[in-house]
Amino acid sequence: MVGPIYIIAIALGLAFFLGFFGKSLKDVSAFLMLAGLAFMTFISGQWLLAFFNGSVTTQEIFTAGFRPPYSINLRMGYEEAVMTTMINVIGFLGGVYMFKRLKEVGNSAMSVFIVLIMSLNVIVMTRDLFNLFVFVEIGSIATAGMIILEKNSKSLQAGLKYLMATGVISGLLLIGIIFAYYFAGSLNIDGIITAHVGVTKAGAVAVFLIIAVLVLELKPFPANGWGLDVYQSAKPGFGAIVSAATATAGLYVLYKVLPMGGETWYPYIVLIGLITFVGSNLVGTRQKDANRLLGYSSIGQIGLVMTVIGLQPILGSKFSFIAFALLLNHYLAKAGLFWLSGIIKKEKISDWYVLRKNKALLILFVIFIFALIGFPPFPSFFGKYELIMSLVSTENIWIAVLILLGSFAEGIYMFKWLGDVLKDEDQTEESLNISWNKFIPIVIVGVSLLAAGFYSTPYVEGAHYFYFIPLGFIVFMGLIDFLPAYVKNTLSIAGMTYYSYIIYPLVEGDLMRTIFFVIFMIGGILTLIVGYNKKGKREGFYPVALMMYAGLATILTSDSMFGFFFGWELMTAGSYFLIIRGKRSKPHAYSYMLFSVAGAYLILLGFAFAYTSAGTQDLIALKDIAVYTTLAYTLLAVGFMTKTASLGLHIWLPGAHGEAESDVSPMVSAILLKAGVFGLMLLFLYMGQQTGETLLFVLGWVGAFTALVGNLAAVFQEDAKRLLAYSSIGQLGYILFAIAMMTQLGWLAGFTYVINHFLFKAILFIVVGGIVVRTGTHNLYQMGGLLKKMPFSFVAVLIGIITLAGIPPLSGFAGKWLFYNAVVLKGWYIQGVIVFFAGSIAFMYAFKLIHSIFLGQLKDNHRNIKELSPAILIPAYILIGGIIYFSAYPQNVLEPIGNMLSAYFPATVDWSGDGLATTVLSYWNGNAVLIIIVTTFILVLAYLKLITGKTTKLEQFNIAYSAERPFRPETTHVSYNMFAGLNKAIGFLIAPGITRFWKNISDMVLDLAGFIRRLYSGNGQVYAVHIIIYIVIFYFISLG
Amino acid sequence: MEYIIITIGFALTIFGLYGILSQKNMIKIIIGFSLFTTGINIVMVAIGFIRGGTAPILDEAGKEIGKYVDPLPQALVLTSIVIGLGVTALMLAYVMKLYQDKKSLNINDYKDLKW
Repeated sequence: MVGPIYIIAIALGLAFFLGFFGKSLKDVSAFLMLAGLAFMTFISGQWLLAFFNGSVTTQEIFTAGFRPPYSINLRMGYEEAVMTTMINVIGFLGGVYMFKRLKEVGNSAMSVFIVLIMSLNVIVMTRDLFNLFVFVEIGSIATAGMIILEKNSKSLQAGLKYLMATGVISGLLLIGIIFAYYFAGSLNIDGIITAHVGVTKAGAVAVFLIIAVLVLELKPFPANGWGLDVYQSAKPGFGAIVSAATATAGLYVLYKVLPMGGETWYPYIVLIGLITFVGSNLVGTRQKDANRLLGYSSIGQIGLVMTVIGLQPILGSKFSFIAFALLLNHYLAKAGLFWLSGIIKKEKISDWYVLRKNKALLILFVIFIFALIGFPPFPSFFGKYELIMSLVSTENIWIAVLILLGSFAEGIYMFKWLGDVLKDEDQTEESLNISWNKFIPIVIVGVSLLAAGFYSTPYVEGAHYFYFIPLGFIVFMGLIDFLPAYVKNTLSIAGMTYYSYIIYPLVEGDLMRTIFFVIFMIGGILTLIVGYNKKGKREGFYPVALMMYAGLATILTSDSMFGFFFGWELMTAGSYFLIIRGKRSKPHAYSYMLFSVAGAYLILLGFAFAYTSAGTQDLIALKDIAVYTTLAYTLLAVGFMTKTASLGLHIWLPGAHGEAESDVSPMVSAILLKAGVFGLMLLFLYMGQQTGETLLFVLGWVGAFTALVGNLAAVFQEDAKRLLAYSSIGQLGYILFAIAMMTQLGWLAGFTYVINHFLFKAILFIVVGGIVVRTGTHNLYQMGGLLKKMPFSFVAVLIGIITLAGIPPLSGFAGKWLFYNAVVLKGWYIQGVIVFFAGSIAFMYAFKLIHSIFLGQLKDNHRNIKELSPAILIPAYILIGGIIYFSAYPQNVLEPIGNMLSAYFPATVDWSGDGLATTVLSYWNGNAVLIIIVTTFILVLAYLKLITGKTTKLEQFNIAYSAERPFRPETTHVSYNMFAGLNKAIGFLIAPGITRFWKNISDMVLDLAGFIRRLYSGNGQVYAVHIIIYIVIFYFISLG
Repeated sequence: MEYIIITIGFALTIFGLYGILSQKNMIKIIIGFSLFTTGINIVMVAIGFIRGGTAPILDEAGKEIGKYVDPLPQALVLTSIVIGLGVTALMLAYVMKLYQDKKSLNINDYKDLKW
């Protein structure tokens, strides 16, 4: 084993000798620098390995053989080994990354860089306060030296501000240290801890100064303008070092010296960390400069880790995992993002679309963003989950809420940025210039993030390696992305089929899960078949589609709340990428993501309450939540309703579904929305009628109004796909209303709607999506007369809308029949009337849809149009088969569901007759209804055929506009402004008030951020004043 | 005696800080920093002082009195002075570069980075 002291010896020696090397030996010195950094990494790495294996114990190194307080001592323990390894790894990778630049500037820059990394090592290892001061200063001076690697006026200004700020800070540190020494008689941290200097007033001031200064070194909001300037103006390659390595060292020092003051100091660190995390991310929402944005995010993340350090007494045994997961996550992701910034070389985040020129970098960017926000499978996901669980179960709910708020604020700008990168129009011809020495470090940190997520699994209750199996397949699909679409499509279908086969035993025997299994998995496979229609490579489609399905499968099969949440977030990520693939989807995918993230956080809080109450991660914990019962269930319900797009939370849906690609719309509409329904059903069953009385009543009303508004808005759409999208909102409103009744009939109706909506919405979106592609327009008034060109499509849409409108004989009517019985028995008459009214509006848009597309006049440009391809029609007709079966034999599906439900609700429907359903109100036989109506229909059709022999056939142009052509021909189309009268009468109901409401909220947030960030005036003196004021306020809060 | 020195030291620190925060000329700000660190150094030396003690050198004179002043703060001060020198030099270098860039020593002219 090489002693840790050699880290210092090698770095100092090397830095010293590099000074003697002339300019001619630049190559030699650059390689020596890397070799030195590599050796430093090796030393700390071997200690880490030894500690990991348990083959060594904590080592103390004393200078000159004396014991403290007569000597300076360094410590190499497990924690120190981890931290120094992290610092040295990033130092080495950073050295590789900045290799060319360092060589350009010369030996002096290399010396300074090595000294910086060394100083961070000592800061971590030293147990002596004055030694700490010395190396903090050396680190500051080296940092100021590195800032001018970027030689421009801005970085010079930033460097001076940095020196001024750290000058004031270190002066205060010195005062604190000397007084600590005066009262404790030792400079050794452990000596000061045992001396309990904090008990006297004067001693407490000394401890206060030391802690406050170490906090200030971490750039707490808002006394951090100097730090932000450094992030913005320094070389991004160096920004990575500051954000990853310096912050790691700084956080560890804070953790190390906090015991000096005793228990009382921890809450203040929590407070400071929270203010920093929330404040910095909030202000970041207004930022347009990429590097400064990364600075805000860095400071925020460091604030989060600071909070966790302060929470150490509360978190107990979970502290190490949570703190390390969050720190490592920030360290890897932020280093990667800064390094990316160094390749992109664009100041404005809106110019980052050039990233799309390199797929590998794009994927890495996505990994870093999702890791920062805390999505699975990254370590921050595991860390945050455990953190929220622990906080809520120890009654620190407000801390949990603030942490989630801060995370959300971070999501606001990160997803804005991601959207810009993915969708903004590429305006440049220039290609990205990527050298290997810059590329490899980014790849290493990206892969490390994934690996770190994987190895987080055993630390979290409820997490299984099993969840990573589909992720492995997704990675594989990503690697073969260069193959043509049909090959990948076949592989995806095969993979999904096999995975369905594996997980089926997990849902077998649970009827509710089996139904959703069919919708998620079989439905998924059918929608994938539509993909055969697509030509070319379809880059990036399959990994994200499979990610969504993997998430859905995990939701369905997990037995723990953690697994459910893991799947939920995975599904959110996958569906986000699916949605944003649409041409004009950027703003819609953005709002989808924000609603989803907010919803997920509500669910997380709800789960945390359940965990607090039951003490287990098992899903059964959701039953009878004993703490904050109403709040917990409401949070969960609202969280799930962000996915079902209930009224108020629906504004993302029309755009997201309407602008999506033709086969994505059915995926996100027919299938994805059901995940929210599954969540709600699970929740309601665990909650029970008694506990949720009021909540259910309110949700019933919400469901009714959602149905009304969704359907009404659908009526006035000119865009075919948006019409279907609004119709989904309405249909999901029915489902919410039905299951909120909490009766057997209500739930039967709910299940019928779930199955029906899955079937007909998939058919309609598949077929209409195909037609939109064929005709090249979304607008209904530019279509028409396609009946003869596309007869199979016509039949499919016809069956779809008959089911949608709930007209006998198809299964839509089954839903209605059950529904009205349920409403009457429940006694929700007024809501029932609203829903009934909404149902009749559904007729209008169903008619508008089929009429505008298939009937009327064929448009000139559609004269050579062809029927849709079999790849579209086959899945649609398979689904039609499902509708016909469900319509003819509803009892085969509904009777088992009814039996299952009677375990939860009193039985009110009887299936004793052959296919005859009887309630106290009425009876109904799906089979007979189908036969009677089809027979009648055929008879009438035959009669009409018989008598139409005598009619004259009109040719298409057998009409005239009095020899004139109308000014705007499309305005004469029947679909244009259809139902104008209705609009005049009740159109106010769908005035975009809710959209305006959310817009106002977002404006308020942005205005607030704009107001706060004026603190950062740009003047170095003002920043020094901030530091003084910060210290004074901190003093009065903690000791005053 | 040592209290007077400590008071002077703190006064100097405060003066320095006031200069840092109030002067607009960057050279004067750096002078403020020098005062600031000098003040702190004086405080440090004063804290280690023992009335009637001698310099912490092991010689006959010290043995006679039997007590030395605390050597540690003096060692710290030496280190602190060296670090202060480095920081001051670096700051001056920065100011020189900035002056070459904009021909101004007024700190208010260097606010390109904000918000």
